[in-house]
Amino acid sequence: MGNQMIKKANAFEILNHWLLAGSFFILTITGFGFLFHLQQVVAIFGSANTMKVWHNYAGIVFSISLFFTIFNYLPVSLKFGVDDMGWITKAGGYFSKKAAIPPQDIINAGQKLYYLFILFAGIAIAASGFFIWLRPQVADIRKWVLLSHLVHNIAFDLFMIAVPLHIYLGTLANPGTLRIMITGTVPVEWAKKRHAKWVQKMGY
Amino acid sequence: MAKKALLISPELCIGCRGCQTACKAWNQLPAIKTANRGSAENPPDLTPNLYNRIRYVEMPSESNQVRWLFVSQRCMHCDDAGCIKICPAPGALFKTKEGATAYDKDKCIGCKLCVAACPFDVPRYDEKDKISKCHLCSDRIAEGLAPACAKTCPTGAIRYGDRDSLIQMAKKTGYAKVYGETDLNGLGTLYAFKDSPKIYGMDEHPAIPETVVFWHKVLKPLAYLGLGGAVAASLLHYVAFGPKKDEEVK
Repeated sequence: MGNQMIKKANAFEILNHWLLAGSFFILTITGFGFLFHLQQVVAIFGSANTMKVWHNYAGIVFSISLFFTIFNYLPVSLKFGVDDMGWITKAGGYFSKKAAIPPQDIINAGQKLYYLFILFAGIAIAASGFFIWLRPQVADIRKWVLLSHLVHNIAFDLFMIAVPLHIYLGTLANPGTLRIMITGTVPVEWAKKRHAKWVQKMGY
Repeated sequence: MAKKALLISPELCIGCRGCQTACKAWNQLPAIKTANRGSAENPPDLTPNLYNRIRYVEMPSESNQVRWLFVSQRCMHCDDAGCIKICPAPGALFKTKEGATAYDKDKCIGCKLCVAACPFDVPRYDEKDKISKCHLCSDRIAEGLAPACAKTCPTGAIRYGDRDSLIQMAKKTGYAKVYGETDLNGLGTLYAFKDSPKIYGMDEHPAIPETVVFWHKVLKPLAYLGLGGAVAASLLHYVAFGPKKDEEVK
């Protein structure tokens, strides 16, 4: 029983996560290159024109990948109950090792909020990006482009705060978590402590 | 180097549009086919192949029933230029040492953000999606020559010279206020208006769009601060509280 493993993420989910992460990484470094005219970053891509091509097409990958996350995470993220509130009030136990955390679903309340944030900010940054890129023929185009530029940059700032925290929580802060995005499996005993409701639903 | 500028005096302009033609000649821009709109003003707007034009404003007043104002329209060469501020491509838009807002088409990435950020709606895009606008004949003025429009103007309605002396000259001639003296940290295209700028179709107080200023002053630094802050907070948490070791999780 002790070494029994349980599948927490399937191959598609893992692949999709890395597509999202990879495209996000390209978008971020090219984004910083454009924002601050970083010649070293431009040099990696050869020219600002090529860097724009990378930025735009990584945006397509990001958007498609973001769309497919809906099937993995949205339904469960929208179920926000008493136990989720309990997780929030105890800050997930990240500031007190003695805190007793209520049983959680396949993703905990913090992960649910993070996902809803990523979906919201992701749609905002993608929609505004495509607007600037494709520049549809509408009245007052200059005002719409300025609005898109504002939304694109606000969402970018929010991503810059949220994503490092996500990476920290998924690696250093929670040993044993990263393997979910590599092999997709975790020990049942490990999962019971963190996602009790889900493990129970799976029949363990 | 002393900043250079154009001083435009609509009262001296006779609407001959020699400046439009001289500009096209120097910059090798093709003619554009236009339709008769019932106005002598032609073409109706700036285009990628029309860097400057004379706007014909009919503005009858009590003392002058046939008042026709001719206003040269082109890049204003702002010292604090919205187009340069928003441009994401290094070296695509820049100030020359003479004060012109010039551009390098090879470095332009065709994002068209400058079109939205310009307070005067000046930048246009050519068929290759590259920025196209008046650059104060930066290739001529670098060699000490006057821009083509000023060179050809037969009445002195477009004058080119040291910015400070042009302003002084306008004030001596009786223009209390020179349009563009202080706006956007000083425009490179100055106007000697007899009347309120509005009559000539110009903004009373031109400014870079507020969203662009907010982005530049707040959102840009926040990108670095947010990233650095989030990484620092993570490390601090790791040191102060440590990871959730499996045996500690209840």
